[in-house]
Amino acid sequence: MGGVVKGGGAFAITPHKVSVCILIHMYAPPALMSVPFPFSSVSQHNRFALFLLALTKSCDDILEPKLDDLINQMREIGDLLYQWLTDQLISRLSSLSSPDDLFNLFSEMRGILTGPDPGAVEDDQVSLDPNSNLGMFLRRCLLSFNLLCFEGVCHLLTNIGLYCKEALSSCPAYELPCLDDSSNDMEALSEYENMDLENIVFEKVTEEIEARKKASEKVSFHLHAPNALFGLVEDIEVSAVQKAKQGDKYKEACPYVHPPNDAFREVDAKAGAFLRTNWQMQGYLMEQSDAIEKYGSSFSLNAFEIILRQLQKLAPELHRVHFLRYLNSLYHDDYFAALENLHRYFDYSAGTEGFDFAQSSMGCNIFGRYEIALLCLGMMHFHFGHPKQALEVLTEAVCLSQQRSNDTCLAYTLAAICNLLSEIGISTATGILGSSYSPISSIGTSLSVQQQLFVLLKESSRRAESLKLKRLVAANHLAMAKFDLTHVQRPLLSFGPKNSMNLKTCPTNVCKELRLGYHLISEFSSESSPMSIDGAFSTAWLKNLQKPMGSLVLSQENVSTGSNAFQFCVQPSSIPGPVLQLLGSSYLLRATAWETYGSAPLTRINTLIYATCFSDGSSLSDSALAHMKLIQHLAVFKGYKEAFLALKIAEEKFLSVSKSRILLLKLQLLHECALHRGHLKLAQQVCDELGVMASSVTGVDMELKTEASLRHARTLLAANQFSQAAAVAQSLFCMCYKFNLQVETASVLLLLAEIHKKSGNAVLGLPYALASLSFCQSFNLDLLKASATLTLAELWLSLGSDHAKRASILIQRALPMILGHGGLELCARAFIAQAKCFLSDPNISVSQNPEVVLDPLRQASEELEVLEYHELAGEAFYLMAIVFDKLGRLAEREEAAASFKKHMLALENPRDEEDPILSTR
Amino acid sequence: MSSKETCRNELRTAIRQLSDRCLYSASKWAAEQLVGIEQDPAKYTPSNTRFQRGSSSIRRRFRTNEITSTPVAGVSYVSTPVMEEDEVVNGDFYLLAKSYFDCREYRRAAHVLRDQNGKKSIFLRCYALYLAGEKRKEEEMIELESPLGKSDAVNRELVSLERELSTLRKNGTIDPFCLYLYGLVLKDKGSENLARTVLVESLNSYPWNWNAWSELQSLCTTIDILNSLNLNNHWMKDFFLACAYQELRMHSESLTKYEYIQSTFSFSNYIQAQIAKAQYSLREFEQVEVIFEELLRNDPYRVEEMDMYSNVLYAKECFSALSYLAHRVFMTDKYRPESCCIIGNYYSLKGQHEKSVVYFRRALKLNKNYLSAWTLMGHEYVEMKNTPAAVDAYRRAVDINPCDYRAWYGLGQAYEMMHMPFYALHYFRKSVFLQPNDSRLWIAMAQCYETEQLHMLEEAIKCYRRAANCNDREAIALNQLAKLHHELGRDEEAAFYYKKDLERMEAEEREGPNMVEALMFLATHCRAHNRFEEAEVYCTRLLDYTGPEKETAKIMLRGMRMDQSSFPPMDVEHFPP
Repeated sequence: MGGVVKGGGAFAITPHKVSVCILIHMYAPPALMSVPFPFSSVSQHNRFALFLLALTKSCDDILEPKLDDLINQMREIGDLLYQWLTDQLISRLSSLSSPDDLFNLFSEMRGILTGPDPGAVEDDQVSLDPNSNLGMFLRRCLLSFNLLCFEGVCHLLTNIGLYCKEALSSCPAYELPCLDDSSNDMEALSEYENMDLENIVFEKVTEEIEARKKASEKVSFHLHAPNALFGLVEDIEVSAVQKAKQGDKYKEACPYVHPPNDAFREVDAKAGAFLRTNWQMQGYLMEQSDAIEKYGSSFSLNAFEIILRQLQKLAPELHRVHFLRYLNSLYHDDYFAALENLHRYFDYSAGTEGFDFAQSSMGCNIFGRYEIALLCLGMMHFHFGHPKQALEVLTEAVCLSQQRSNDTCLAYTLAAICNLLSEIGISTATGILGSSYSPISSIGTSLSVQQQLFVLLKESSRRAESLKLKRLVAANHLAMAKFDLTHVQRPLLSFGPKNSMNLKTCPTNVCKELRLGYHLISEFSSESSPMSIDGAFSTAWLKNLQKPMGSLVLSQENVSTGSNAFQFCVQPSSIPGPVLQLLGSSYLLRATAWETYGSAPLTRINTLIYATCFSDGSSLSDSALAHMKLIQHLAVFKGYKEAFLALKIAEEKFLSVSKSRILLLKLQLLHECALHRGHLKLAQQVCDELGVMASSVTGVDMELKTEASLRHARTLLAANQFSQAAAVAQSLFCMCYKFNLQVETASVLLLLAEIHKKSGNAVLGLPYALASLSFCQSFNLDLLKASATLTLAELWLSLGSDHAKRASILIQRALPMILGHGGLELCARAFIAQAKCFLSDPNISVSQNPEVVLDPLRQASEELEVLEYHELAGEAFYLMAIVFDKLGRLAEREEAAASFKKHMLALENPRDEEDPILSTR
Repeated sequence: MSSKETCRNELRTAIRQLSDRCLYSASKWAAEQLVGIEQDPAKYTPSNTRFQRGSSSIRRRFRTNEITSTPVAGVSYVSTPVMEEDEVVNGDFYLLAKSYFDCREYRRAAHVLRDQNGKKSIFLRCYALYLAGEKRKEEEMIELESPLGKSDAVNRELVSLERELSTLRKNGTIDPFCLYLYGLVLKDKGSENLARTVLVESLNSYPWNWNAWSELQSLCTTIDILNSLNLNNHWMKDFFLACAYQELRMHSESLTKYEYIQSTFSFSNYIQAQIAKAQYSLREFEQVEVIFEELLRNDPYRVEEMDMYSNVLYAKECFSALSYLAHRVFMTDKYRPESCCIIGNYYSLKGQHEKSVVYFRRALKLNKNYLSAWTLMGHEYVEMKNTPAAVDAYRRAVDINPCDYRAWYGLGQAYEMMHMPFYALHYFRKSVFLQPNDSRLWIAMAQCYETEQLHMLEEAIKCYRRAANCNDREAIALNQLAKLHHELGRDEEAAFYYKKDLERMEAEEREGPNMVEALMFLATHCRAHNRFEEAEVYCTRLLDYTGPEKETAKIMLRGMRMDQSSFPPMDVEHFPP
């Protein structure tokens, strides 16, 4: 009813709990024996206790298991024991034929609890401590039975009858005392339920498939559409056609999320379905929400939606369901459903249910916690790429949390705003935070967005620190490091003579910042909620039972054999998921830091660490990012063939869905490859697709947008349309300047230099190259700096042979960096440039020492052949042919000339058939 | 419309058939309509007109465009042959079963009829089973209630009923009543498409079963569904359409339809109440009040729809009338949700919000899905400043019927009260979408945009403009438009709206601070644009008011006169003769 927030404590006695009670009774019968009858050893006895414990705690489902499932689980305990236990259990259950039997059963149960004074008990008697976990469970069952009214007892009896009947319909050995009234229509009832929901699901599924088909027809040119469609359809089918089609892919993507047939099993069994305890359900929901976040859009929308709908039906006052529905629709990019469910959740719960930090200090107050609603709404808008609304809502959240003095929420909101500001390009400071209430306005709007962001970051981490929100502190450090990476940090007040420019973009600084967040690991325990960990452990334990190596349960010694990999991913580590995630992303960030710095090996190592250690706990998009980095590395250092092979594997692992990074990677690789091979049409098409992936809202998806237009300019350059390429690059430069994308500015400048170089205006190119060089220097972009130096050298070189010396010096300077960290293309370019220097340098006589020139050229040509970079390879062979000609080595000259011809021909008529990617499409 | 005599005969037979099958509410409805048919003057007998006395007075007052009783051109009604009663083979068993049924011993009734094969017997058996299942379901719902909410108990008879009825339908041996029941079962089960088809089938062969019509109506959630129904053109369909239009918020269409039906059933209380409902939705409170007064005079023990009457009385702040009404329904039937709602309204009017909540809660206990009680309770909580509770109550109303614009509006208000204007906008948007012609909603939304926190004045102006276009009674919109334009420095627009506002106030003969404000602005504006004559008019009008404005106006007048008097000499100086 209105406004009354119901507490937990939904502990009702159900048939399953009765069977667990009976099992507990078997575990600890009131007899004077150290190991009661059926158990052969103490360890076996203890295993059984563990099993019972896990039964009472596991949170893998919303519904209690049926008798079948329980018996199946018990089967794992061992053959002989299983027989005896199930026989006992079933006979006890089926002997309950009148309410009085139930009363007797429970008074017997009371007997196994130890009395109030433990001294009276003899040592070797197995008895249940009333305060132990199992004892508590038993006591709760007793209590809830005692609280039942007579109708309740009757219901319980009927339900036990059903519970047994369903299980025993397969084994005719047991005859049940039939309750004639209910039994005949029960099976019909289940049939009725069955039919009903099947219809709904199939309708939905077919609808969805059709919709997808329609959608994909319209954008037929879309390179990835068929694949994504395939993935989607399969995903749905798995959930619809039950076990039959459980593809490997699905398993891999979601190893322990609800098995896809769950929904069905539960739905047709609704007649005898009982919700688990509130505690277990909350645990389940928590796990699911983690899973949604982790697997993103490859999490099956419909299967989980069905479960949620059912849960909502069974427990309409459990408002958390709405939140889960919100999450589910959020990660499946259903804006309207997400919005609706978010509002519904907060309308019902007033933000006081389910947020672990809400209950911490103040408990729930009478006003509700609607500021959390605002925070969530803001993050939702951010997720969907509505920065304006997001900022508006978050500002409102700041005001409200200040009014209600909810410091925790304030800290989180500030962090969210930081995140928003750092992700989203905003050109001018004025007007972003329209109202006078904005948290930043007190600082004054004269600051640039970056400065505001910096101040906010500091403020947010200060708050988080003072409130002891460990995770937030760590996240703030991450954000700070990210900020350091991409922004030159100038002193806020730059009066007087130029202060020492405090540049922190150096990776060591980033790492330093990151390390500040690490003390989190040692202190996470104070913040994490014990419920989920405990429950998850039990769940994993029970799941282990069902796996093939069932014997493991009773024999402790062979734990290690053959199950390593499995154990590794299923056994929950003692570190909670979110902490792991944060740690993982710190490694990713390190990788990025090294990447921008230009150290390929360190990038690779950090990414590898992430991929091996953290990919289990991380979200799907993060591990996709890691894969992306590794594959990019492959492409740059090993050529496209290997990269595409790896990409194929990655594609299978991450069901490619519209906006995923894997798709982005694929487009990037395709573009590079097409450029190198001279498929300019294809390159342009891919480039356009890349551009389409970005949102049309200004300020959103800045990275994608810059990348798309950078690639556009490069395509134009390859097509020798210099003025257009220059125009695109110019406008890109303007954009980068406007949105303060300083790192990108450097590469745009370099591109401009390249354009001028290729168009023959080397003089015009020089200032751009120099500008880029200085940018690189101030941002510690060492590799980019090396490549800018190389370009500079090439520019000098093209000015005539007088400058060959200067060019040569420049190249020599950049060479260590290029050879150590540069990719194939860069190395080849450096070699060619070097060879050209030697050739044009009048002081060096090629005929005396031909290897000085030939050796780099040979290396360059090898590398370029791997890349299939026809244009440059042609150049290398051309140079080689000339040298050979001069030296008079005619056979070799012919050979080089033939290679040159081959490459030029390939460049002019690009052939499709041998294209590895085109054929896969 | 068919001739009155045909209707009358059809209804008479139908009532007998319906009550014979224990479809009491349908037969009650039919009987109400039967006596609602206007008597032919030829057969005028005093006893017949007892129910009809006085009803014509409303018609005289509110029928501006009298609808003639000639049928609309092109509409021809099919005449459905009155169903032949099947042979009563074992009439005695049927009588026993019916008696059991009347004593609400449903299972016994079904048991008596277990071997009977007549169509009537089959229907009654199935119907009794259905009701037994429903009864048990209600009980279980209370028995199984858990802290996490009501468990959803199901009617356990549905499966067997469905199986039996679908076989009957396949064999072609099903009668319209069983079809109705089949539709009911299908609807409960959730297969709405089939339910609609079956109900249409039933109604095409037996159109007098109002229960079936109302089930069908509840399944028509959009106008498209309604239009796609393949219904015979019987005169009962007009009732159905009128009702369906109303539920689809097509109030004026519904009103026309009802007025058309009223030409035949001119004394039907049902139609009067429905007309009142439509008028209420159109916010014609005066007319609603008159209709209800009339209705209560004719049918003093009526409880249905009286909650709406109480809403009207509440809006008009008629304390004593509301208390009288509350007393009357309380004596008639205390445990009706409507009665509780009326009492709740009364307490709310008295400002005793806690008590009023108690009664709304009682109403909700009696009917969990009683929409207006949730909304009204939300209002009460807002009054009590318990916003979370209000939000919860409103949200429940919205979840019961997502088209309830009042509840959406309430949600928006609640959030606005908590200083969350941006969050509130979502709700206002919803309510405005559902009721785009209500100026109050637009104004609320505009005020939201206008708050200091958001300060999105352009959007606010757009909303006010919408409000001004849809008959803004409180005349807030024009004034606000003028003010906002003034604030944004668009004086021409501001002057335009002030002038409009002024005209309106003049027309409605209202005075007040707005008047002074408008005059003041216009005077300065005209003066600034050198339209001295106009400015003088406004200033002179300002002189009628007291306060600082009067002084300002005086000064302005003086200044203007000085300017004007000093102009001619200047002219002389500049242009010497």
